[in-house]
Amino acid sequence: MKKMNICWGLAAMGLILAAPAAAHHSFGAEYDGNKPITLTGVITKVEWMNPHSYFFLDVTDSNGVVANWKFEGFPPNVLYRTGWKKDVTLKAGDTITVFGWRARDGTNWAHSRQVTFKDGKKLFFGPPAGTGDGGNVSAVAP
Amino acid sequence: MKKLSGLLLALAAAGVTLAQETPAIPRTADGKPDMTGVWQGGSNRVGTWEEANGDGGLGGGPAPATAGRAPVQRPAREPAPYQDWAKVKVQESFSRRGIDDPMARCLMGGIPRSTTVGLFPMQIVQTPTQVIMLYEMFHAFRVIPMNAKHPDDMEPSYMGDSVAHWEGDTLVVDVTGFNDRTWIGATGTFHTEAMHVTERYTRVNYNRINYDVTVEDPKVLTKPWIMHNSIMLRTGTRLREYECAENNSDIQHYEQLLKDESVFRRK
Repeated sequence: MKKMNICWGLAAMGLILAAPAAAHHSFGAEYDGNKPITLTGVITKVEWMNPHSYFFLDVTDSNGVVANWKFEGFPPNVLYRTGWKKDVTLKAGDTITVFGWRARDGTNWAHSRQVTFKDGKKLFFGPPAGTGDGGNVSAVAP
Repeated sequence: MKKLSGLLLALAAAGVTLAQETPAIPRTADGKPDMTGVWQGGSNRVGTWEEANGDGGLGGGPAPATAGRAPVQRPAREPAPYQDWAKVKVQESFSRRGIDDPMARCLMGGIPRSTTVGLFPMQIVQTPTQVIMLYEMFHAFRVIPMNAKHPDDMEPSYMGDSVAHWEGDTLVVDVTGFNDRTWIGATGTFHTEAMHVTERYTRVNYNRINYDVTVEDPKVLTKPWIMHNSIMLRTGTRLREYECAENNSDIQHYEQLLKDESVFRRK
């Protein structure tokens, strides 16, 4: 155990360039990290594509009104490498719950983070809030 | 053999238990550390891609305090050493939440950012005369000759021109000839065509390359900007195609947002 501690201590010392995870574009320009949203619904379409994947979700409110939501996430390469399979893991007709953050334009568009499947399994479809937008502290802040 | 036993005894006496066996650092015929393989920059986690990233820590954020891992303590952060006028420009990009990121428009990330971005793997192919670096992100590549001079007909470019040499077991790569259209790392960290990057790759164990970078740009920085990062071996990972320009719908979204900056600008 001590050996592990030493290893991780050294690793931490090396990581001075600890920039927030950088995707290929800014989270914060498009999405509001202060507006988390959790929705359960039925998948209507999955766009498994570069540079970002999307899925669409029919969500029924308490009055029975159905709204279709669009969720953005990782490109296929990233999804493949973290346990997703195209046309298998997520497909039209599946009921899922998704946690993410709403778009700044107020439309039914959001950035996805975690998807929970019917069997309780959870996978990440997108990166954390703040990815690629500078996070909380600017590079030149004292 | 006696020496080895002595060392093991000394380690045992010091209360150090040997972690699970990892192979020795591979070496090429000329005795240099061989860094050939698929790697992930911007991470300090050991394991396959899925093991190191499946919990959502993509990009090398702080390692979660899961079993068997000590909490990571970050060293004190230092501000990037920009000149006062340039700080204002970096801050402005931060205030605009990185909407001006050249990479959002599918432009290559430059150096060191292509390495540190973390979300996509890179591959190193090492030969005695050249080191080839391939980046899945936007299909960037570098063909780096050993013990060569920069050519005298360089055009300013996104990835710059690289030449390398060995200093002991460290591969030192000298990069110049950049254009001014990439960011060094974090949001808004711009530079000029005068930027000069020195990268030092040291394979410190089987799983890890220490990636130490010095960025010089006297036109915008007050002193060299020194960064320390790591690049982790990702056995079993292969580079795939990552075409960015097709279906980049975020850009249309940006165009809408830019009509009213107050929608996204930091207060």
